Amino acid sequence: MTGGFVDLFTPADTFLHRLDPRVKIIAVLLLSVLAFILSNLDSLLLLLGFIFLLLFLARATLSRTLFALKFVVRFMVLIVVLWPLFDPSGTPVLAELGPVKITEPAIWRGVTSAVRVGCLATVWYILMFTTSQRDLVRALVKLGLRFDYGLTLAISLRFLPTFGVLIESIKDAQRARGLELSKGGLVRRSKNYVAVLVPTIVSALRTADTLSLALQSRAYGARADRTYLRELSMRPADYVALTVLVALLVLPAVAKFLLHVQI
Amino acid sequence: MAEPSIEPEGRPALAQSKPAKFVSPKVVAVYGVLTALTAAVTYASYTPFSPTKGYFNLGESMVFFSALAFGWRAGMICGGIGSAAADILLGSGIYAPITLVAKGAEGYVAGVIGRLRGGQLWAVVAGIAVGGLCMITTYFVGELLVLNVGLGKALAEVPINVAQVVLGGTIGALLSYYVKRSYPSLAAA
Repeated sequence: MTGGFVDLFTPADTFLHRLDPRVKIIAVLLLSVLAFILSNLDSLLLLLGFIFLLLFLARATLSRTLFALKFVVRFMVLIVVLWPLFDPSGTPVLAELGPVKITEPAIWRGVTSAVRVGCLATVWYILMFTTSQRDLVRALVKLGLRFDYGLTLAISLRFLPTFGVLIESIKDAQRARGLELSKGGLVRRSKNYVAVLVPTIVSALRTADTLSLALQSRAYGARADRTYLRELSMRPADYVALTVLVALLVLPAVAKFLLHVQI
Repeated sequence: MAEPSIEPEGRPALAQSKPAKFVSPKVVAVYGVLTALTAAVTYASYTPFSPTKGYFNLGESMVFFSALAFGWRAGMICGGIGSAAADILLGSGIYAPITLVAKGAEGYVAGVIGRLRGGQLWAVVAGIAVGGLCMITTYFVGELLVLNVGLGKALAEVPINVAQVVLGGTIGALLSYYVKRSYPSLAAA
């Protein structure tokens, strides 16, 4: 049991899985910047298609992708619906009701913004689906995160599912004592949740106590020039991927800001 | 005669190497656990609301708890990273960067103001109010300017966020009061 947690990482042996995690982190950042540079609906749809192609190549299973997309699609629909209500600029006016004017350009602006949000939301999953937590932390440390901060992050990722299970079993224990957690309004429900939070926190702080003893007994922080069992090293394919990604960002940026092409 | 060295070649012996300037193991353990706890509580108490399509969670209470019981640094790091991790796990990864800033700022402000004069009641209330205000403003501005979701969607989030601050702040303050009383040694970390 994992306390209902979905670990997004899906083990497989695709080129995206073998890619250096550092390159993947940079890829997510570059593609996000690209989504802000592009302002045409067509080119944004193209970017969205490219991201989905990568997700498909990463062998993301359908159920996991659907889980991820459920939120994103709802979010995008809300933007499309709400945008024209607050943006009365442009012509032709399609409908008018009191102070609210719905215009055609506003609808298209809403759709464009929704597609951009879709790009920004899905690009994360390329990294999350193909990189294990261990590799992620290792890459962040290699990219310049301090080792002790990286360790803290690794500890928190490690304990996330543990606490998920802990909270679930405390909930069950309190339910068995007659605590209602799914009835009543917001205030009542939150108040009842305190009976779950207090034992959880006390138990977590005890864990932290033991954990700090375990760290000390393993000579944590004894010396600064520590070595690693597994080193990350960039292979030629990683450099090729990095070059392609940088070109993917630089070319549209040059076209937009130097050549003033509408993209 | 020199002691035979067990150190690998090219590395100075342990005694001669510079003392490492890492944070203490206790801080690493407590911060790691608090970050995981923030994410887990956010995840476990996640309640979607159908009328507004928004969602409500008690992660806020853990941000305020970390800030009030362990100081601004814990509030900033654990609140920011824990909440951002929960966002990614809940499938709303797009919010993660804004959440990192919003909850981080909230934890920082609540930790600084809420612990003035040894954490008297007025300081705690002020810390939660100002910290919550930082969070709501960051979300509003971030959604409007960075994600560019339009005024409608950004405004729809504000009431949910206000409710989260009020409820989460109350619970977080109570929790920190009781935990500080029963764990005085840990609160000093």
